[in-house]
Amino acid sequence: MRIYCRLLGAHLRALLEYEADFWILAAATVLMQVVNIVFLAALFAKVPSLNGWTFWAVVMMFGAVALAEGVGSLFFEGMWRLAWQINMGELDYFLVRPYPVVLQSSSALIGINGLSNIVVGGAMIGAAIAHSEIAWSPWRVAVGVLLLISAIVIKLSINLATNSVSFWLSSPSPIFAFAVHQVGDLARFPLSIYPAALKAGLGIVLPFAFVSFFPVAYLLDEGSNRWIGLLTPLVAVYCAAVALTVFKRGLRRYESAGN
Amino acid sequence: MGAYTAQARGVALGILEYRVNVLLGIVATLMQLVALLAVWQVLLADSPVQGFTWPQMQAYLLVTFACGALVSTNSDFRMAFRIQSGLVALDLVKPVDYQRSRFAEALGGLWLEVVLILIVVTSAAALLGGLTVPAGPALALFAISMLLVVPLKFLIVYVGTLACFWTQSYMGVQWARIAVMSLLSGALIPLAYLPGWLGTIAQWSPFAGLTSTPALIYIGRVGFGDGMMLVAVELGWVIVLWFGARLLWRAAVRQLTVNGG
Repeated sequence: MRIYCRLLGAHLRALLEYEADFWILAAATVLMQVVNIVFLAALFAKVPSLNGWTFWAVVMMFGAVALAEGVGSLFFEGMWRLAWQINMGELDYFLVRPYPVVLQSSSALIGINGLSNIVVGGAMIGAAIAHSEIAWSPWRVAVGVLLLISAIVIKLSINLATNSVSFWLSSPSPIFAFAVHQVGDLARFPLSIYPAALKAGLGIVLPFAFVSFFPVAYLLDEGSNRWIGLLTPLVAVYCAAVALTVFKRGLRRYESAGN
Repeated sequence: MGAYTAQARGVALGILEYRVNVLLGIVATLMQLVALLAVWQVLLADSPVQGFTWPQMQAYLLVTFACGALVSTNSDFRMAFRIQSGLVALDLVKPVDYQRSRFAEALGGLWLEVVLILIVVTSAAALLGGLTVPAGPALALFAISMLLVVPLKFLIVYVGTLACFWTQSYMGVQWARIAVMSLLSGALIPLAYLPGWLGTIAQWSPFAGLTSTPALIYIGRVGFGDGMMLVAVELGWVIVLWFGARLLWRAAVRQLTVNGG
């Protein structure tokens, strides 16, 4: 843990060398979320609800995805470099160091845009909670926190698993992982609006719906099958296990770059 | 002129090497199409909202997809890299015009994008149960406006990429551009849904021509006269941006410092 922070800290210091770029990146990320909010506000100004979901419920789902993405960028951006690391044989260095390879890989980069995504995503969730009538009890707060952490773990696990596919594909860029990441954007909207095939895809095959829709539905106590949200921690454990297995299997296939 | 045709041909032939990247560039636009189709199908199931019916919105979103997929081959990344690494110095000594060269490259990649667009649009139209095609004059106007999307989008991306002469990284600039483009072009939501003042700004901005203008003409939301006006605005921006980009380029090159090595 301490080592991980120091690895990231080194990248952060390097990044702050270019202060103007830091601010441009931060501002651009905020702008992207502002555009999302303007879009939702414009939409819900004309219609009362989307398949029974209010403006604030959808804002919360958008916020959850932004927050999970932000944590991924800020702390685990290195995962997106895995394909490059494999292709260039950079994993050689990691393999001889006494620290888990997966952590060395994921800390190889820091995405400062994650910081603004965490802040804006958190603010969206916070504002949504303030505008909803949740009967808070210590139990509900604890469940809420647990669901949030689980949602983040699921997003990270999908990132790791899909990036680990690079062990099998020889491309130097994470094309597959990126495509899956785009599919994840579908989960920003309530799952109930999609046709059955997509519901199954986002609920079971690539459980993006557990990053946003199911936990939010449980917390807001809305929609049918709200109990599914309680499965989020189990899905998180399952996803993490699968992701780590895929990574380990892949690592066994790794054979440097030959120079 | 021969030099530019050769460049365009080079990209046209080479683009298949990067077919996966081109596909990937379209995945994001495709996912947005899927999400927005699902959203609007629910919202417009019973009654039209703000004057848009469900069949109209289907067509609007398909045109949006086509506009989003055009000129999306990410050649801006290569240009940004060459500016930041200083390789652009080599482009400066070539006896061709920089802006025309980049435009020629964008045109070269067009054919694969058009093929992919046709595949997606026809399969989507089949899934949705057909698509109404507008009558002759509107169709012609739509075609002109779609043709203008190509130089317009190229120029907006090009001007954005020129910012790399002043910044160290391209990502922030690119994201900001994408955010502004998606909102003000009407790709995220038709401009009629935006608050009045924002809608008016968007409508007269260069971005409206990227999606809103061809889409509104296609679904018949604007008549022939108004459509002509919108296309004229689109054309006006193409001309302004073409010469504006030249001025910007001149300023950019003047303050360029390339380290030797």
